Amino acid sequence: MSVGVSVRGLEKAYEDGARRVEVLRGVDLSVTAGERVAIVGPSGSGKSTLLHLLGTLDRPDAGTVEIGGQAVGELTGSRLAAFRNRTIGFVFQFHELLAEFTALENVMLPGRIARRPLGELEERARELLEEVGMTRRSDHFPSQLSGGERQRVALCRALILDPPLLLADEPTGNLDPVIGDRVFDLLVELQERHGTTAVVVTHNPEIARRCARLLSLENGFLHDGNR
Amino acid sequence: MILARSADCGPGLPFAAVVALRYLRSTRRDSFVRFLSLVACGGLAVGVAALILSLAALTGFQDALKEEILSRTPEVAVDVPPDRDAAEVAVAIAGVEGVLGVRRSVEGRGWILSEGRVRSVLLEGFEGALPESYAEAPSRGPGVYLPERLAASWGLEAGDRVEIASNRPTLTPLGPQPRVLRRPVAGLYRAGRTEQEDRLALPLADAGRLLGPLTERVEVDAGGLERAQRVATRLADVLPEGVTVRTWRELERGLFFALRLEKSVMFVALSLIVGVAALALVADVHLVIAAKRAELGMLGTLGASPSALRRVFLLFGAGLATVGGGVGLALGLSGAHLLDRYRLLRLPPRVYFLDHVPFTVRLADVAVILLVSLGLSLACAVWAAGRAAALTPVEALRR
Repeated sequence: MSVGVSVRGLEKAYEDGARRVEVLRGVDLSVTAGERVAIVGPSGSGKSTLLHLLGTLDRPDAGTVEIGGQAVGELTGSRLAAFRNRTIGFVFQFHELLAEFTALENVMLPGRIARRPLGELEERARELLEEVGMTRRSDHFPSQLSGGERQRVALCRALILDPPLLLADEPTGNLDPVIGDRVFDLLVELQERHGTTAVVVTHNPEIARRCARLLSLENGFLHDGNR
Repeated sequence: MILARSADCGPGLPFAAVVALRYLRSTRRDSFVRFLSLVACGGLAVGVAALILSLAALTGFQDALKEEILSRTPEVAVDVPPDRDAAEVAVAIAGVEGVLGVRRSVEGRGWILSEGRVRSVLLEGFEGALPESYAEAPSRGPGVYLPERLAASWGLEAGDRVEIASNRPTLTPLGPQPRVLRRPVAGLYRAGRTEQEDRLALPLADAGRLLGPLTERVEVDAGGLERAQRVATRLADVLPEGVTVRTWRELERGLFFALRLEKSVMFVALSLIVGVAALALVADVHLVIAAKRAELGMLGTLGASPSALRRVFLLFGAGLATVGGGVGLALGLSGAHLLDRYRLLRLPPRVYFLDHVPFTVRLADVAVILLVSLGLSLACAVWAAGRAAALTPVEALRR
């Protein structure tokens, strides 16, 4: 299952002391269901800010974000959290796995938040870990895993509830190129197999090239990156 | 098989409880968090144990004091003014349901004199046999009874004659003359350790001669302290106006108020220990939130609501408070039991009215202690957990 994403006139600015930094100045974006889109841009261009706004983690100063026809600006508190839980999967540069939980338990966390039946949840988590070659490491704690393994666990965690939208912020940024490529291969494979819509923020041109559409964020505006 | 593996993650437990339990377990790994958690738990344990032990010691002392004072206090006392016939009132009282016995008595001040020595005493005239409040007397027949310590210091024995004088003189044409009686000592009794003043028991007729017309008291045996109020109510209904009926509780109202006040003040003072421990709990919860900031941000992105994150740390604080309170409860109860059973805290009997510190644990006291300790800790945990709820995922994930 996948959803389309529609962004209109998105603006976001930060106060830096007395200075106002306008990060996004009117971003428009349409992502069709099942599409894989890469957003590139120099450091500080606002890629992560855009991803946070798409992921309902932050609120824009102006503009709207619609995911699967739902205007996310209308949601607050528990309803927003529940929407995020069932609609969006996140993969960040830093995996942020919970140190006290095993790989398997980390993958199960979104399902536990959603109060899914445990047996069903564990079965699904094991399937995902198997898909990324982590079956034998499922009972290990994050501190016992390598960087690539942790990111694979984070990927499984993002997909455990089959979210229609996957947002990835520099998913391989913390890994060496070989491991990074392998992790991104897995991400692409899983995204295509599950038909998930994906928006990937990266400054890695190789990764960006592997997305169906490339967009570039410069000076607060989003451009077609293929031009 | 699958469910068995899940058991490690807390089967059936809500998400917040699962995370809170793991964070509680994780305090074993981080030495600084462990130290603060130990301070918070230890403080609560010490506070709860100190409260239980102190209140048990106070209750033990107060019970012993009450027991001794109440042994000298009638269960119900009916005061009959001089213009009424106390004998008639006593007969009327004896006929009331629940009254097991009556004894007329009168009380006044006077002196005891022997071979040029004189001492101020409380004169207590009694009807019939010597009352039980005069402990360890060898005989209980009518007569004059002195406290052992007075007799010992004056070298008096049973059979020796003493003079008893009243502070009420008799007016004569020659001026006021003292009222003095010369009587043999019938026996000696052991005074209670809390008695500040020497009491001298003598027959009611002699007391009447010495003290003249006075308000007389009819002491009523109601068959137990707890029955006194019921009997007193019945007496008040049947007795004439001017006659006052009071139970032991009313007679010793000042004492009971002082004892309650003493206990309350001690409870409040010792609760400060629990208050300090609860603040340490706030610091601990804050520290764990700071240490887990990025993880909390990630939980937010995964769909954990602010209220769920608040619950995580509320349960975390509650867990610490329960462990601390439980340890304190065990320490306090076992300590009080051992100290009381083996009389480990000895007291010099010449200074105190007891030779050891008694510990009496009251269930109601323990319940209030636990309620206050856990309530205070939970209030602090709610305050601290609010910080987790206030974190936004973006802020929390920012490096």
